[in-house]
Amino acid sequence: MNELKHVLKLTLMEKKDVSIAILFGFLAGIASVALMGSSGYLISKAALTTQMTTLVVMAACLKLFGFASALSRYGERLYSHRATFTMLSHLRVSFFERLAPLAPGIFGKYRSGDLLSRIVGDVESLQNFLLRVFYPPVVLGIVLLSTIFFSSFFSMGIAVVMLIGLLLTVVAVPALFSIRKRRSDGKLRADRGNLAVEATEFLYGFRDLKIHQKLDAKEQQLKSDAAYYNEGQKKEGLEENLAQSINSLVALLVSFFVLGVGAYFVAAGELNGLYLAMLVMISIAAFENVAAMAAFPSYFEESRKAAVRLEEIVAEPALQQGIVKLPSGPLDIKLTGASFSYPGEKSLAVDDVSVHLKPGTKTAIVGSSGSGKSTLMQLMLNVFPLDHGQLSIGGEPVETLAQESIWQEMNVVLQENHFFYGTIRSNLLIADPRASDEQMEQALAKVQLELFPLEMNVEEKGQNLSGGQKQRLAIARALLKGKSLWLLDEPVSSVDSLTGHTIYQELFQQGENDLFVIISHDLAGLEKMDQIIVMENGRIVETGSYEELMKKKSYFHQLKQIENSVFA
Amino acid sequence: MNDLKQLAFQRKKSMLFLAVASFLKGVATIGQALFFVFIADRVFLQDASFESLLPLFGGLFAAILLRVGAGYAIGRAGVNLAADVKNEFRNNLIKSFAENPLLSASQGQSGQKVSLLMDAVDEVDGFFSKYIPQMIQTYIIPILLLGVIFTQNWTSAAIILITAPFIPVFMAMVGKGTKKKADEKMEQLSQFSGTFLDILQGLSTLKLFGQAEKQQKAIRKSSLSFRDSTMEVLKSAFLSSLMLEYISMLSIGIIALEIGLRLVVFDSISFFTAFFILILVPDFFNLLKDFGSAFHTARGSVSAANQISAELEKSRSPLTWGSETIASEPPHLSLEGLSFQYGEGFSLAPLAGEIPPYSQVAIVGKSGSGKTTFMHLLAGLFPQTEGRLMINGVPRENIAEKSWFDQLSYISQNPYLFAGTIRENMEIGADRPISDEEMLAAAEKAGIAEMVLTLEQGFETRIGEAGRGLSGGEKQRIALVRAFLKRPSLILFDEPTTGLDLRTEQILQNSLRELQKTSTVITVAHRLHTIKQADLIFFLEDGKLEAAGNHDQLLQNYRPYGEMLAAQQGGGVR
Repeated sequence: MNELKHVLKLTLMEKKDVSIAILFGFLAGIASVALMGSSGYLISKAALTTQMTTLVVMAACLKLFGFASALSRYGERLYSHRATFTMLSHLRVSFFERLAPLAPGIFGKYRSGDLLSRIVGDVESLQNFLLRVFYPPVVLGIVLLSTIFFSSFFSMGIAVVMLIGLLLTVVAVPALFSIRKRRSDGKLRADRGNLAVEATEFLYGFRDLKIHQKLDAKEQQLKSDAAYYNEGQKKEGLEENLAQSINSLVALLVSFFVLGVGAYFVAAGELNGLYLAMLVMISIAAFENVAAMAAFPSYFEESRKAAVRLEEIVAEPALQQGIVKLPSGPLDIKLTGASFSYPGEKSLAVDDVSVHLKPGTKTAIVGSSGSGKSTLMQLMLNVFPLDHGQLSIGGEPVETLAQESIWQEMNVVLQENHFFYGTIRSNLLIADPRASDEQMEQALAKVQLELFPLEMNVEEKGQNLSGGQKQRLAIARALLKGKSLWLLDEPVSSVDSLTGHTIYQELFQQGENDLFVIISHDLAGLEKMDQIIVMENGRIVETGSYEELMKKKSYFHQLKQIENSVFA
Repeated sequence: MNDLKQLAFQRKKSMLFLAVASFLKGVATIGQALFFVFIADRVFLQDASFESLLPLFGGLFAAILLRVGAGYAIGRAGVNLAADVKNEFRNNLIKSFAENPLLSASQGQSGQKVSLLMDAVDEVDGFFSKYIPQMIQTYIIPILLLGVIFTQNWTSAAIILITAPFIPVFMAMVGKGTKKKADEKMEQLSQFSGTFLDILQGLSTLKLFGQAEKQQKAIRKSSLSFRDSTMEVLKSAFLSSLMLEYISMLSIGIIALEIGLRLVVFDSISFFTAFFILILVPDFFNLLKDFGSAFHTARGSVSAANQISAELEKSRSPLTWGSETIASEPPHLSLEGLSFQYGEGFSLAPLAGEIPPYSQVAIVGKSGSGKTTFMHLLAGLFPQTEGRLMINGVPRENIAEKSWFDQLSYISQNPYLFAGTIRENMEIGADRPISDEEMLAAAEKAGIAEMVLTLEQGFETRIGEAGRGLSGGEKQRIALVRAFLKRPSLILFDEPTTGLDLRTEQILQNSLRELQKTSTVITVAHRLHTIKQADLIFFLEDGKLEAAGNHDQLLQNYRPYGEMLAAQQGGGVR
C-alpha cells in the first residue's frame, strides 16, 4: 500500500467529492439492506395480523427504500466518477511538476519512444484506483459495520457471524488473492513482452527469415509463444473466477449461519421469531455487494504497478546545477576531454572529445550515422552529464550555471522538433511570448513559409506539416528567439537543397556575429564554415576548414568522394 | 456481434456445458430460497425444535454449494472459451502474417500489426468470458424462476411478465441515446485527452524555450474540461441505469403489494409462499441487470473483433513453389514479361530481359521507380501478377522453395539482426554446422572479427532486441558474414545510399568483389563505380523498364542515362 500513498494523497485532495460519493454509496447500500430487511420483517408481521396498517407501512417502506437506494446509487456514481477525473487531473499536474525538471535528459536516457505513452497509460490506469481499489472496501466496510451494529441489538451471535463474514470477504480473501496475483503477475507480463518482441521480430525480419528459410520455424515459435501467453492469461482469468466464487460462497454461508444461529436462538426462545426473516434478508442484501471485491486484486496490483513505474521515472536524480546566470554577449563553448556513454551501454558514444568553439565562429560536425554527432551536441546543450571531462560556456563551468539560463541563450533546432496542437502562432509564441504578428511573419518569410497564415491549424505533433515544413518552422522559432548561440542538428535535411541554401544564408545574415554549431547530413556547402569536425565512433578524426581538409586528402576527402559518386 | 456469437456456438460442447451449469445454478437458486423459507416458516410459525431442522439445513448447505459450484463452473467455462477463441484468433493472424509476402516490403505497419495481435485479441476476451456466459444464464435461469413463481402464485408471474420486457426495451433506447451523446462529444474528448501526451512529448522543446512551467495550467485546464465533458456523457448513462433500477423497483413493489394484499386482506396465500416469492423476484431482476452490464463489455470486444476480421480478410496471394531442384551454380535468369501490381501502391510494368550466370547487374532509377519491387520479384519474395521468371529454363513456380533460397542471399540496406548471439546471427545464413575457424575467417573477410574479439563474450555476445546495439556499418558487415558462410550463387544487394563509415564502404566493395567470383550479383546501385562496372544496367522509371544495356551502350543510346550521370557529376555543390 506504501507505493500508492502518493496517489491516495492526490485522491483525497478532492475531499468533498470523495466524501459525498462515500456517503451516497453508504446510503445506497444501507437503503437496499433496509429494503430487504423491512420486507422480511413486514411479511412476518403480516403473517400474524390482519391489520391493513401493516400492509400500508410495508408498501410505503418498499417504495421509500427502493427509490432512496436507486437515487443514492445515481449520486454515488456521479460523484465517484467526478472525483476520479479530478484526481486524474491532480495526478497529471503533480507528475508533470516532478518530470519537468528532469527533461530533456530523461528522454535521451531511456532512449525509447514508448516512455511517454507508457506514462500516459499508467496515469490513465490509475483512474481505477478510486473506483475499484480505494472505494469499494471502504463503502462495503461501512455498510457491513452498520448492518452488524443494527443486528447486534437483536442477536450478538448473528452479529458475530456477520463480522466474520466481513473480515473474510473484505479483508482476508482479497488480501490472499492480491498476494497470489503479485506472484504470478510478473510472469504474465514477461510472457506478454516476449510475445510482443517475437511478433515484432517476425514482422521486421520477415524478408531475412524468408530467405534464410527460418520463417516456418519462427512462425511455430511465435504460435507457441502466443499459446504460452494465452495460457497465462487463462490462469489469471481462472484465478479471478476462483476469487469471485470464494467470495460469493462466503457471502452465502454468512446468510446460512445467520439463519442457523437465528433458528437456534428462536427455538431456544432467546430471539423473537418475528425478526428471523428480517435478519436473514439483511444478511443477504448486505453481502450481495461483495462481488465487487473479486476484481479488487487485479486492480490493486495494476494500480500499484503503475504507481511504482511512475515513481521510478520521476525518482531519477536531476542533473546537478548551479545558480549562476550566463552573461549575455559573445559566448564560447569549450569541451575538454569529454566522454559519455548511454546508461547500460558499454561503448562510449562520445570518446575523449575536446573542442573549443570561439564566439562568432561557425562549426560543422559531419560523420556517418551513429558516429556520435548528435550526442556531442546534446552534451553541449548540457542535457546529459559528462562521464569525464569538462564543459564550460562563456568561461563558466556548466556545474555552476543554472540549466535554464544556458538554454535561454541558445537557439536550438533538434532532429525531432515538437509542435503542439494549436496554430502556427501559438507554436511560434513559445519562442517569444511577446513577439508581434509582424515579427512572426518576418521569421516565416525568412524560412520561405510566408504562405502560412499565423492562424493556420497545427495538428498534434504537427502531423499536417511535411518534414521539410516542420524543419523550417523550427528554424523560424529559433530565429524569433534570436540569441547568440545556435545549435542546429541536421536542420534542413528534409528541405530541398536550394531552399536549404537560402535558409542558411538568412541564418548567417541574422547571426553574423553569433556562434553556430551545425550537424550536417551531407558534405555540400561546407566551404563557408570556419571549422569542420569529422567524427567516427565517438571520436574526432579530423578538424579543419573545408580547404584544409580537402588539401589533406584524408578522411574528409574520401567521404566527399563517396558522396560525389552516390546517386540518391 | 453475430459473427462472434457464431464463434461461440461453434463450440458446441462448451455451450452445452454452459447451458447445463446455468440450469443447475437456477435449480440451486430456487432450492436455496426454498430451504430458507422452509426453515424460517418452521421456526417462526410452527415452533419447530432446532434438531428437527437439521436435515433442512443440510439441504440448504447443499443448495448453496451447488449454486456456488455451478457459478464457478460457468465462470471457468467462460474463461476457457475465451482462451480457446483468442488462441484461434492469434494463430489465424500469425498465419496470415506468414502468408503475406508484401510484409517484406512494408515495415511501416508493423507496429499496428503487433498491436492487433496483442491488444485487439485481448479485447475480444470480455465477449466470451463475460458476455456469453451471462447471456446463456439469462436465457435459462429467469425462465426457471418465472416457472416456479408461476406455480406458486400466478399473479406475481403475470406482473413480472408485463414489467420485465420494459428492461431490454429501455436498455436499447438508452444505449442508443448514450452512444449518440458520446459521438457528439467524441472530438472534444479526444482533443482534451491528447493534451497531456502532447505536452509531455513537447516537454524538451518547452524546456529549451523556458516555457515548461506555464504548461501546468494547460494540463489542469484540459483535464478538468475533459472531466466535465465526460461527466455529461456519463450522466446520461447513469440516468438510464437509474431508470432501470426504477423499473425493477416498481415491479418488485407491485409484487410485494399484491402478495401483501393476499396475505393480509384475503388470507389467500401462506407466509411460506409469500416469503418464497419475495426472495426469488429480486434474483430475477438482478440477472437482467447483469446482462445489461455484460452487454457493454461485449461492445468493445465487437469493435476489436472487426479490426481482426478486416486484417484476416485482406487478400493474400501466397507464392507457389514446385519440386525441381537447381544446381548450386549461378543460374541463367530470363524475365518473360514479368509484371506486378498491388492495390494502388506499387506496380511494375511487364519486364523482359536475360541475366546470364556470373553477370553483374545494376538496377538504377529514382526513388519510387520500382527498384525494390523488382528485387523482390527476382528474389521470389513477391508473386508476379503476370509473366514468368525462368530459372535455367524452368519457371520459378516449378522450383522447390528450399532449393531456390539455398542459392540466394539478400543484403539489404538495413539487415535485420535477431535476438540472439552474434554467432547465431551469422550462422543463420548457412544450413550446416560452422566450425570456429570458418566463422572467424568469414568474420575477418567481412572486417568485423576485430570488433567482435574486443567484446567480452566475443561471438557469444547477445545482440538484437534487448542486447547490444550495433551501428549501421556493423550490421552490414554481419550481413556480409552471412553471405560468406552461405556461399550463394545469386546475391541481391541493396547498396547503401548514405551514412556509412569509410571502412565499411571499403569492406563492402572488397567483399562484393570476392563474392562476384562465385555468383551472379544484382545490385540496386547508388554508386557510380558500381554502375560503370556492371555488365547490365536496368534503368527504371515510374515502374517501367526504360532501357537496358551496359554503361557504354546506355551512354550512346539512351539520353536520360547520360543526363543522370551529368547531373550527378555536377551534384553535391550548392
